[in-house]
Order: sequence, then structure tokens, then C-alpha cells
Amino acid sequence: MNWKLPHGITWRPVASYFFMVIIFFALLQLVAAQKLNLTGALAVALLLSVVLAWLLYRRVVAPLSEINETAREMARGRLDRELHLYSRDEIGQLANSVNEMARQLRRTINQITEEKDRARAILNSMADGVIALDRQGQVLLVNPVVEEIFNIKQEDCQGKNILGVIRNFDLELLLERALKTQQPLTREIKIIAPEPRIFRLHATPLEEADREKGGVVVLLRDVTERKKLDDMRSEFVANVSHELRTPLTSIRGFLETLLDGALDDRETARHFLEIMSAETERLTRLIDDLLDLSKIEERRVVHRWQPVDMIDVISRVLSMFRPQAREKNITLLSRLPSGLPVVQGDPDMLAQVLINLVDNALKYTPGGGQVTVSAAAADGRLEVSVADTGVGIPAESLPRIFERFYRVDKARSRELGGIGIGLAIVKHIIRAHGGKIQVESTPGRGSVFSFTLPAGEGAATLM
Amino acid sequence: MSPRSSFDKALAELQQDILRMASLVEQAIYDSVQSLVKLDVAGAAQVIMGDEMIDELYLEIEDKCVKLIATQQPIARDLRVAITGIKILLSLERMADHAVDIARATMCLSGQPLTVKPLEYIPQMARLAQQMVKDGLDAYVHGDVEKAREMCALDDEVDFLFAKTFRELINIMMENSKVVMQSTYLLYVSRYLERIADHATNIGEAVIYLVTGERRELN
Repeated sequence: MNWKLPHGITWRPVASYFFMVIIFFALLQLVAAQKLNLTGALAVALLLSVVLAWLLYRRVVAPLSEINETAREMARGRLDRELHLYSRDEIGQLANSVNEMARQLRRTINQITEEKDRARAILNSMADGVIALDRQGQVLLVNPVVEEIFNIKQEDCQGKNILGVIRNFDLELLLERALKTQQPLTREIKIIAPEPRIFRLHATPLEEADREKGGVVVLLRDVTERKKLDDMRSEFVANVSHELRTPLTSIRGFLETLLDGALDDRETARHFLEIMSAETERLTRLIDDLLDLSKIEERRVVHRWQPVDMIDVISRVLSMFRPQAREKNITLLSRLPSGLPVVQGDPDMLAQVLINLVDNALKYTPGGGQVTVSAAAADGRLEVSVADTGVGIPAESLPRIFERFYRVDKARSRELGGIGIGLAIVKHIIRAHGGKIQVESTPGRGSVFSFTLPAGEGAATLM
Repeated sequence: MSPRSSFDKALAELQQDILRMASLVEQAIYDSVQSLVKLDVAGAAQVIMGDEMIDELYLEIEDKCVKLIATQQPIARDLRVAITGIKILLSLERMADHAVDIARATMCLSGQPLTVKPLEYIPQMARLAQQMVKDGLDAYVHGDVEKAREMCALDDEVDFLFAKTFRELINIMMENSKVVMQSTYLLYVSRYLERIADHATNIGEAVIYLVTGERRELN
């Protein structure tokens, strides 16, 4: 029976009220006809009420409280709950609507979560730092890059003013300006975190119709390394020019003196020409070294890839330096255990490494000192070290000594004939062989340069 | 806007102002120490010139603080916020002055090559002092009493290093009268660093007072 009265009244309530009224009249009649006394009528009424209440409970109250319970759970976020009420009355319809609502919500939430996850993933995978601020300049979010650079946590900075998160005067000033003017801006700023780092900051105001809602998104790109490279490059150019000019100036000076008349004095002329020849040689050596370095830096050079017995190389190099060491009164020692593994590489280049290292060690060790070359095998690698008892290297110079043209003490090293390129060559050769070089030093006590090379037949195929 | 929320806003602004000044002071300390290590006169000059701005900021924020107390008559925690604000400002201002002192020492030292080499303790002290300033300010930002209490240990370390530097420099001076000038300047520098660390503990004490209302000596 599907017919309905207006306003959604169905036949059920009508039928039940009708039934109740009939019973009421029937009981009245029975009491009036004295077929039933008052107590009996009350008892029958009570019995019928209990039956009715029970029916009401089964059909209405119990399902309603189940719906209520489930709705509450859904509000707590358990949208996977479903109601299993299949009655065709209003309560069944209500249950259906609740289920439908939950399904709809679940879909929407999934969609939003997915979008949010995607946005978060993009944010997390960015190599630049991202900070988002609201209109009041309070932090909305930071991405992991920022968390890492400034050693902070997203939870700790949400809702804080930027100064409470990154205490930097310029940063706050720039962000304030971006918020106020609503114009994008790009600057370079230095932030100490806790070492000074240089960032390229890009602030973009968030366009939002609602003025209250806007804000600003800040991108921070760490350009410290690039800046350092730029500085190194200009230093390199300056150094090369200087190194090339010094011998040239000297040659030109003597040339001019010769032209001005010194040419007539055979003795002086000869002396001058000798100096000029030495300077020319120095110039040639410098240019050769530069070419070597650039070739090695371009990684083109390990031509003669072959098994190399380092013991052999070390002994050869040491015998080369023996006379020089004796002249300076320096003891040249070697500690070479037998049965060391063979390495792969170019014997001449590896010899060059040792030549540069031993040459440096002899140069910077005063008479009476000691230079020791030792080799050892260490889990699949061969380690060679050159230790001296020389002047040592100050701690602040250690990270830079493998740079081209870096010299700890310019005046002293020029006196010793160095041009600040030897260790750069060493580093590149070792790197081209798949090895590593490191240095330890105590000023006044001496330095130890040690490098490792992969050992064995299959070690390091070229690049 | 209700009076309460405008007052809250004023307090938040006060904290922000203090942190803004703190950022300048931290930078000044860092730059002064760097100028000393590198004997960089230009860097030192910049620190000395930058102090003017810090002083201006100091007066401006202090005025704001006083006005806040006078017009809002805060009580309990609100009063403590205003009072600690003034205390922290004062410590920051003193630290900035010490940074200037270090920069001045750099200028005096820069003429001649450094012959005295006990400089290893001074950078160490500088690192610790800077860490303490940072910790104190972080504790202030987060109201972190634990962090404020932990500063005690760092301060002890700074004091220990100061005593060591002091002895060593005295010895050096007794051995070689030519380096008395240099050594004295270095002695001053270590003293300034020790004072900076002390002011940092003052900030820590202020934070503890701000959060708990109790007073505690940290150094």
C-alpha cells in the first residue's frame, strides 16, 4: 500500500491511532456494561500499553538510537560506518540518507586529501626552502628543506611570527615589505644558521579576493656554494694573471735594461739573459701545469689504464728525491709491507701524485726533520700516506689547500718556487682513479697527506 | 576592538620588536667575532656603525614598554611580560655594546701581525657565547623553561675557558713584554665574551621569571 496522505503522513500512524481509539471505546463500553470492573480495565489498558511501548521501542526508538550512535561516530571521522536498517518506513529512509551522506562525505574527503597530499608531496620534493605566511606575518607552513636548514620543526613554528622562527632582521624586513606592498620581490640575503649562508629570496604575495586571507609565499634558494664558486673563479683568474705577470714583468724589465745599453756589457748581459731564461722556464712550467690541470679536470687523461704496483712507484719516486733530502738534511723513510694489492691506473700519473706530495713535504720541512711514506691495505683499498715533521697547515686553511692557486702563505711559497697548483693536480688524479685524499695537520708539528685507491683487478673502470 | 585584545596585540608586538632587535644583536656578535678572527677592519667598522641602529631600536621599544605599563596597568603575567621585556632589552643592548667593544679591539689589533697564538680558546668561547644567546632567545620565543635552565652548564664552561685564557695570556705577557699590548686586547675580548654569556643567562633568568614567576640565579 503506497498511497500517502498530504504532508507525508502515511497509513501507519493513522492505523495505529485508529486502533487505539477503538480499544479505548471498547474498554469504555465494557466498563459501562459492567462486564469489566475498573481494575480489570486498567489491567487490560496497562497490558496493551506495554505491548505498544515494546512495539514502539522495536520499530522506532532502537533504530533511532542506532542511527544516532552511528552519526556520532561519523562525526568523529569514522565515515566507513554503514547503517544496516532496511525497513521501508521513515526510519529506513533516514538510515539510507545517513549512509548516502557518509558516502558522499567520504568521497569528498578522499578527494581533498588526495589533493592535499599531492600539494604536500610537491612541496616536500622541492629543493628550495618554502615558507608561507598569512596576512599578519604568521607562519602557515614551512617545507622540510627549511626545517633542515634552520633546524626547526613545522609544529613549532605554525602560527608564530617569522622572527620567532628565523631570527633575521633583513628577512623580516623584506617579508614585511612584501606583505605591505603586495609586490613580489627578489633579493639576496645572508642568514646565520648557524654558519652564514647566502640565500636568494623570492617573495610572492598570495592573490586572494578576501583581503583578510592573503599572505606571502617565500622561496629560499641556498646559493652559498654557487657564490663560493664564483668567488673562487674570480680569485683563480686573478691568481693566474698575477702568476703569469710576475715572470713577464721581470723578463720585460731585464729586456728594457738590455736595450738601454746593458747589452754592450757582455758579463751583465749574460747574467740578465740567464735570469730571463729561468723566468721563461718558470712561465713554461706554469702553463704546462695549467694545461695538465685543465686536462685532468676534464677527466680525459687516464690513457694507460693498467695494473700498477704502488711499491714500485713509491720506491722510484723516493730514489728520485734522495739527493735533495740529503742536501736538506732530512731523513726520507718508507714503510712498505710486502704483499700489498695491485691497483688499477696510470703509473705516471700516480707517480706524479707522489712526486707532488713528497716535494711539498720536503719543501715545508726544516732541516733535521723527517718525511715518511707508508702504504697499507685496508678493506679492498690501498692506502698511501706521506707524513712530514714540517711547519704544518693552520686549521682554517685545511679545507682550502686542494683549491687551485690557494697558498697558505703566499710570500713563503713563492720563495720556495710553488705556484699553488700541485695539490689541485693531486686531488684530480686521485679522483680520476676513484680514490680519496685527505689531510691532517698540526701547525708546528707536521702534516699527513693520505690517499686511498681501490685495489684489485676489477677496481675502477674509468668513469 | 575590546581593550583586552588590543592589549594582547600590543604584547605580541612587543615580543616581535624585541626579537627584531635580538636578530640585530645576534648578527652584531657574530660579525664582531668574525672580524676578530679574520682581523677584518671593514667588518669591525660595520659592527661599530650598526650599533647606532640597535641603540635607537632599544630606546624606541623601551618607550613602548613603559607606555604599555602606564596606560594598561597590567597585573600578574601581563605585568611580567612587560617587565621581562625591559630586562631582556637591557641585556640585549649591553651585549651589542660588547660586540662593539670586540670590534674596537679588532681595529686595535689589526695593525700588526698576531704573534700571540692562544686564540684557540677565544673562538671556542665565542661559539659558546653565541650558542647561549641563541638558546636564551629560543627559550624566550617558546617560553621554554627547561632550555633556560640548561644554559647554566654552558655558562660554567665559558667561565672555565675565560679563567684558562686569562692564565695563559698572563703567562705569555710575563715571558715576552713585546706582546703585552696584543695580549691585553685579547684579554679584553675574552672578558667581553664572558660578559656576553652572562647577559645571555640573564635572558634565561628573565624567561624563567616570565613563565613561572620565580627568580633564579643561573650563573
